[in-house]
Amino acid sequence: MASSVDSPISAATVHGDHDVTVWGGGASPYSIPSKKLGMWLFIVSDAITFSAVIFAYGYLRLAAADWPRPFVAASIGNATVMTFVLLSSSVAMVLAVRASGLGKVSGAVGWLVATALGGVVFDILHIHEWLGLIGEGVRPFHNPWGTPMFGAAFFTMTGLHMLHVTIGVVYLLVIAVGFGRRKFSATDVEVSGLYWHFVDLVWMFIFPLVYLLSAKTT
Amino acid sequence: MEEQVHQHTAPTGFIRKYIFSLDHKVIGKQYYFLAVFSVFVGMILSWLVRIHLVWPNVHIWGLGTFSPTGAPGGVISPEYYLSLLTLHGTLMVFFVLTTAPQAGFGNYALPIQIGAEDMAFPTLNMLSFWVTFLALCSLVATLFVSDGPPISGWTAYPPLSAVGSVSGPGEGMGQNLWAVSIALFCIGSLLGALNFITTTIDLRCKGMTLARMPLTCWAWLVTAILSLLSFAVLFAACVLLILDRNAGTSFFLPSGLLVNGQLQNHSGGSPLLWQHLFWFFGHPEVYIAIVPGFGLISHVLSVFSRKPVLGYKLIVACLLGIGFLSFTVWGHHMFVSGMSPYSGFLFSIPTLIITIPATIVTLLWLGTVFGGRLRFTTSMMFALGFISVFVTGGLGGMFLAQPSLDIFLHGTYFVVGHFHMVMGVAAIFGMFAGTYFWFPKMFGRMMNERLGKTHFWITFVGVYCIFMPMHFIGLEGMPRRYSSFVNEVMQPLMPVHKFMTIAALITGASQFLFFINVFWSMYKGPKAPENPWESTTLEWTVPSPPPFDNFGGKHPVVSHDAYEYGDVKNGKDYVMQTDPAGQPAGS
Amino acid sequence: MEHAETAGLRIVFSVWFGLLGLTVLEVILAYRQLPLQTMLTMLMFLSVIKAALIIAYFMHLRYEQASLFVTLIPALVFILIMMTAIFADSSRLAHMRSLVQ
Repeated sequence: MASSVDSPISAATVHGDHDVTVWGGGASPYSIPSKKLGMWLFIVSDAITFSAVIFAYGYLRLAAADWPRPFVAASIGNATVMTFVLLSSSVAMVLAVRASGLGKVSGAVGWLVATALGGVVFDILHIHEWLGLIGEGVRPFHNPWGTPMFGAAFFTMTGLHMLHVTIGVVYLLVIAVGFGRRKFSATDVEVSGLYWHFVDLVWMFIFPLVYLLSAKTT
Repeated sequence: MEEQVHQHTAPTGFIRKYIFSLDHKVIGKQYYFLAVFSVFVGMILSWLVRIHLVWPNVHIWGLGTFSPTGAPGGVISPEYYLSLLTLHGTLMVFFVLTTAPQAGFGNYALPIQIGAEDMAFPTLNMLSFWVTFLALCSLVATLFVSDGPPISGWTAYPPLSAVGSVSGPGEGMGQNLWAVSIALFCIGSLLGALNFITTTIDLRCKGMTLARMPLTCWAWLVTAILSLLSFAVLFAACVLLILDRNAGTSFFLPSGLLVNGQLQNHSGGSPLLWQHLFWFFGHPEVYIAIVPGFGLISHVLSVFSRKPVLGYKLIVACLLGIGFLSFTVWGHHMFVSGMSPYSGFLFSIPTLIITIPATIVTLLWLGTVFGGRLRFTTSMMFALGFISVFVTGGLGGMFLAQPSLDIFLHGTYFVVGHFHMVMGVAAIFGMFAGTYFWFPKMFGRMMNERLGKTHFWITFVGVYCIFMPMHFIGLEGMPRRYSSFVNEVMQPLMPVHKFMTIAALITGASQFLFFINVFWSMYKGPKAPENPWESTTLEWTVPSPPPFDNFGGKHPVVSHDAYEYGDVKNGKDYVMQTDPAGQPAGS
Repeated sequence: MEHAETAGLRIVFSVWFGLLGLTVLEVILAYRQLPLQTMLTMLMFLSVIKAALIIAYFMHLRYEQASLFVTLIPALVFILIMMTAIFADSSRLAHMRSLVQ
């Protein structure tokens, strides 16, 4: 029959007829809270989704003879600034997690808001860039420079990423408010940080693959 | 340690208890009945398909009213035939085989089998179910939109599926609803997968090492890992398909495409890209459909042979090996697609290799049963039947794995026979075995054994009658997804179709024995004891049905492996996993 | 928690500067006249380094148990490697298109 256990203990070793390491139960073998493991697993899956889209882009670009390289220096500069903004927002996130772990609630909330602000700035720069390209005639089905797939791939990859950034901004603000009200824990802040860093990480690939490889260098 | 827990008081109110429940047992049942509904609809669709093949001009009562464009006067048009088989395939593969074995039984039994109160993320679990339910609504809605369901098959190959309504009926709204349905299903599966993995790793009770987990839990873990990794790719593919159809992109559409006389304004894409993305998901998907069955069969065979599973660790290794290899073989669905023939050779090798762990597992099952003191319950019959149908169906795969043979067999009834035997029969047998096994625990009542055995025998003979002949007509070159066969080569084979159709109708009708057994026994069956099967695992240490938190606030402590059967001690030939004899000293 | 949730401040800022520097390097590389394949390889190499830095230091994976790394990363890498198999068809498509033009 089932017997009760007072407190969870980590794996203990039993000395009996044979040496058996008994799983103590109640603690993750990775020594991390379940929510964190859950977020890591989500990140692995979302990374694969992004990868599939990026592989699709690579597949079609490799097969295309007429892929345009239209991004002038101003565009590349804008995208570089966006990269800097996102990287800096990641640092703000690290500081938020650090503050939350040390119990500094207002500091953590402040850094969370700063991170979210970075995301908002990123989105604004991005939308501005989109509007510029649309103004030049770029559509998902047509552009003035080459194969229509250029616009399709561009809007799909950057659009999917921008969606993740926007969701991240909302997520971070929810966590900021909740942590400020002591409803969420430092783990929740850390978990949201993992998501935000993941969004940054994806951009590390989109930036060179979409922008730099289509930079107008002549 | 924080959280790890959930509700400390039982939920009250109808909505909290039965609709938006956080209880994994309720959610498991919700998934199970979602699958029952889907298999019922899918089965009716298969009857319509089979009837049309043999009696193409018969006026099917009611169908003309239901779909005046697809079946005017009740006679199924060729396009509607494709719609029906598309919906049949999509319902069966996704909403039956990818729900009940994993999200149905897994949700119900995993937490209890590992000694936990609930899954790691109960709210996420509830959301997963309702997202899946929404996906089903979107799919079933295709039957009711003007043009009907899409005609591109469950595989939805472009260009047919990507150019929109110009390519045929059902390719407008129908295909859009299909793509949305599958995208939603991906999300539900993904959330479920991370729940299963986290639960299995983090929430095992004291003493429940990974090596003491029942094989069902190992199977659900491997399946969850496959789901996490593969549904991500399908989701991307669906997004791109939706964009091609609605935003004018051309991921899957090349230039110069003439559809029904109209030049399509697309350029730059490749239909092969869809096939790669789809089958990259699609092959792990079929293992997602069968691996839970592997776990359950290993488990059930041991219980009813009163013998430990032969080669527990080897079975675990094989499950992991199958999972790993399943990501290396997807190209075998594309041997004749126009992909590089060198790729064909490279995909054929792991496809043949993957038969090795599958064979080892089968031999270990036989070894488990051999020399056992067999108890022929209905669950055991279906488990034994599983071995038979899985071997039969799997052997067909050995032919298809070779590109030289597949050139001839691809797109024929040989393929249809193969995948129906392994998925449509073996995986379903797993679901039947699971139902007859866990029903007492889930509903607190016993199913009727005589009805169960009748159900088994008719089904077992019936499925061989339906699907074995498909291999032979396939070898004769009979193509699949054709609504009628008129030429002089195929006509002589029509009597075979008639035989299969009649077998399908009889076997399908006998499934009502199962439905009646389930629904009647839920309310009127004899009350079930705590451990009717004298099984060792944790779910049989709690009442039937279990309380809302499974163990009544207690934390079980495990000190035995999951399959200690055979040695008679204290008048019992089994040792519960929580039996105190063998507890670690000082606890 | 047995260990700090984040790496020390100095490491964090060093990584930040490293990431910014690598970004600048990538931009400079983009403006050199290199064949597409070479450029792609070098950019991907740098991006993987940047990703590794983010994963290791910002996402703290370097300080977690090795078993967590082993659980997450090899599976992801395996999937990515398997997906590269589709490029055989991509180059074949490019070749076939060049024949038609």
